[in-house]
Amino acid sequence: MRDNTLKYLLVLPAVLLVFATAIWPLVESLRLSFTVGRLNRPPSLQQYIGFENYTWAFLEEPAFWNSVWVTLAYTAVTVSLTTVLALGLALLLAPGGRLRSGVQTLLILPFAMSPALIGVSFRFMFNPEFGLFDAFFGFFMPVFAGVSWLADPVLAFAVCVMADIWGWIPFLTLVLIGGLSSIPRETIEAAQVDGAGGWRLFRDVTLPQLAPVLAVVVILKSIFSLKTFDQVFMLTNGGPGTATQTLSHYIYFNGLKYGQIGYAASVAWLMVIPMIFLTYAYAKFVFRKD
Amino acid sequence: MAEVVLKNLTKRWGGFVGVDNQSLHIADKEFLVLLGPSGCGKTTTMRMIAGLEEPSSGEIWIGERMVNDDLPKDRDVAMVFQNYGLYPHMSVFDNIAYPLKVRGTPKADIAPRVRAAAEKVELTHLLDRRPKALSGGQRQRVALARAIVRTPQVFLMDEPLSNLDAKLRVSMRAELKHLSRELQITTIYVTHDQIEAMTLADRVAVMNHGVIQQLGTPDEIYNDPANLFVAGFIGSPAMNLIDGSIREGHFVTTGGTRLTAVRAADRARVVLGVRADDLRVSEPGEGDIDVPIYAFENTGEATLLTVQWGQQRVIARGDRHLRKEQNDIVGLSLNPDHLYLFDPDTGRRLTA
Repeated sequence: MRDNTLKYLLVLPAVLLVFATAIWPLVESLRLSFTVGRLNRPPSLQQYIGFENYTWAFLEEPAFWNSVWVTLAYTAVTVSLTTVLALGLALLLAPGGRLRSGVQTLLILPFAMSPALIGVSFRFMFNPEFGLFDAFFGFFMPVFAGVSWLADPVLAFAVCVMADIWGWIPFLTLVLIGGLSSIPRETIEAAQVDGAGGWRLFRDVTLPQLAPVLAVVVILKSIFSLKTFDQVFMLTNGGPGTATQTLSHYIYFNGLKYGQIGYAASVAWLMVIPMIFLTYAYAKFVFRKD
Repeated sequence: MAEVVLKNLTKRWGGFVGVDNQSLHIADKEFLVLLGPSGCGKTTTMRMIAGLEEPSSGEIWIGERMVNDDLPKDRDVAMVFQNYGLYPHMSVFDNIAYPLKVRGTPKADIAPRVRAAAEKVELTHLLDRRPKALSGGQRQRVALARAIVRTPQVFLMDEPLSNLDAKLRVSMRAELKHLSRELQITTIYVTHDQIEAMTLADRVAVMNHGVIQQLGTPDEIYNDPANLFVAGFIGSPAMNLIDGSIREGHFVTTGGTRLTAVRAADRARVVLGVRADDLRVSEPGEGDIDVPIYAFENTGEATLLTVQWGQQRVIARGDRHLRKEQNDIVGLSLNPDHLYLFDPDTGRRLTA
């Protein structure tokens, strides 16, 4: 057998696997999004209806728009806060003191926790009767005394954001520490001798050189924020009302709870579009050539 | 422009002493080279002067000020790094302009001064490029221009030529020398290359194990080494160091060969130092001693003869037209005016 044929044969299993687990479901869901697609009907009745699912989402469903806004707000807040906090932490930890390796090990711990578990534990800690955080905030900020956080639309959203930031900061901090330590030390020292103090040094020399890594962090976190589901599902289940219902949660509810699998598929495809842009940008930054 | 004074400067990391109680007075406008093998503390000394490393004890004075507690930016020094330390995200122009910009130089003054500095190092045609698009030599010029664009009190240069290839190093060395004579600014220059030290310095401080072994002009360092370390470190090929003793006013090798007369009292153990140039190569029988050739090397401008002298090997420099083969016997004689005697235990030079 010629090497040329052999090399294709060798990658074939992997290609088939990707096709069966990624490409085919994607195509199938696209097909579903153009049908009635009800889980409680036989396939013969799930006829093609064109763009009706899409127009329904856009024109007839305030809940869809609600989940879009929730997702966008959630993404904007979590991405910006996590990035800024992780950058601050990375700057504190990067120079390398004695504690560094120990702290780094501790840092990774929240990331080792399943988002669903983070959701459960935050729900527990914000329980109005025996929750630790509920009592804590109530004690230090009397405004919040006796407030049931998860019953208030704004505060429930805030709790989701807090849980998300808590879970994500460690990993992003580690990524940024890696980025910081790849900046040549001599450029920093040259700037110090040239006359740059703390803030200028950061703005003129550190930040521009960290930019590619920072971009990766922002894009990666945006992807994860946009598709948030498990944490919200366990923490608030989209409530109160639909105050914390993200798109993923909305898709889950329509598809698996209400059985409108065709409609859910169309909303899912609406979500795929920004995701494609983000993954493209991500790949561009990660595989960039210097 | 200012003098730089180090008073009992020490740097310790845990139990390791990088720089040991070093005092040094560098005159205004002087070009001082810190020379030594890697790990001798020369770079650490310079980094402490720059403020990039904090001394464990001792004082650093630049001009009239003690700068121990000053940040690097407040010390008014300029530094050239071994790996250039250029800002990769800025153009050559912005790299050179950065020290001016960050120190609040009026905008109108920046461009002409950057151009003037770029002209001095012949960079004017590259000002729009990024460092990535430059060769090693060009990058080094940018680093140099960035240092001279201001008029700092002191220049600090940390092995600025080590990353260049051999040919470029020689031409950059000459440019550096020219530039330093023109600018007349106190310069401290770190290198492990003795040729750089010899050619550039007003004075050389030879360092080892965190201590200055000898401080003097290149002439003094070469012709009047203070101890075994300096003698062995300076010169290429290195000075021959031959073990032996002094008996009845003559040097006797450990093998028992009685050699030339030396002006020193008798000693049981002594090291004789002689440079390759001070060994005269002749036909067998015509020298002080006959020895077989271990290796014969022709460098073009001279010949190098490594000879097997009892247990030891000694290098002599021969005429460039000399032709010999391995295992040939040659006569060697020592120039009695340029012999150095050292105490093998302390390493100190024994003076007659």
